[in-house]
Amino acid sequence: MATHGEEMPRTEVASDAADAGHPNGGSLAAFLAAGIGSFAMGAFVILNAAGIFAAPSFYGPVGGLSGRSTLAVVVWLAAWVWLHRRWRGREMEARNVYLATLALTALGVLATFPPLWELL
Amino acid sequence: MLFSFDSLATMFHGIAAGGLALMGLFAALFWLYATRSAAADDARVLGATPQQAFAFLTVLVAAALWVTVLGGTYIVFPTYRTPPPEGVVALMDFPRAYLLSDAGTAWLHAFAMESKEHMPWIASMLATSVAFVATRERRRLWADHGMRGMTVAVLAVVFGLVSFIALMGVLVNKVAPVQ
Repeated sequence: MATHGEEMPRTEVASDAADAGHPNGGSLAAFLAAGIGSFAMGAFVILNAAGIFAAPSFYGPVGGLSGRSTLAVVVWLAAWVWLHRRWRGREMEARNVYLATLALTALGVLATFPPLWELL
Repeated sequence: MLFSFDSLATMFHGIAAGGLALMGLFAALFWLYATRSAAADDARVLGATPQQAFAFLTVLVAAALWVTVLGGTYIVFPTYRTPPPEGVVALMDFPRAYLLSDAGTAWLHAFAMESKEHMPWIASMLATSVAFVATRERRRLWADHGMRGMTVAVLAVVFGLVSFIALMGVLVNKVAPVQ
């Protein structure tokens, strides 16, 4: 994996001091973590709809939604911290990360679409 | 009192915070569209002020979305789903029960409200990632076409989700308002 400023060509803009300390890994980590969080939200919803796993209710008046949303946010933040620590100093090929993010997001959104639950 | 706390909270949730997020999302997308052909070294785009403004706009959108989601989930939603006491037949003060009491309105809970429960969390997580990138990669965001395209794509997804959620909210609140 190339590191910023070694193998990757640098444009006039990219060499600006504002970007010098920011290889793209940190941003890719943020995007992918959001995709993972989206997928987690969808997964918890689908598992609940299928009767496989019902997230606990952390706040009674809100019911199971409090558990599903809290767990999804925990997965998102944990994934973000983990990916950020691994990627923040790297200049990475972004295309696959972008595609994975969009695919995970699409699956997450699809899983939260109520008509899909009736197919289970 | 003309407006109850729950009614005011619902209006703030949908119109103030949600509306601010929706307008901010449109502004951010328009900004990216309007500057799409700017050269990578265009000083008008790459000046510190436009970049800071765009970063601020995305942070504002993310913050507004989180306020909308958290307020909606923990302040408005409990009132919406409060079950009516035994024997109560006038259900207008119990929106969820009211919607489910009629086959013609049950879809507003089963489809509209169920969608509103989960999708906003996804929109908020995605918007936060864009705010982080816009703040962290101020100049690179304008020069790196891949990163810029991804930012547009994610913002478009968020805009689509928030628009759909807002429409569902309007429909639900029109038939069974939180009072």
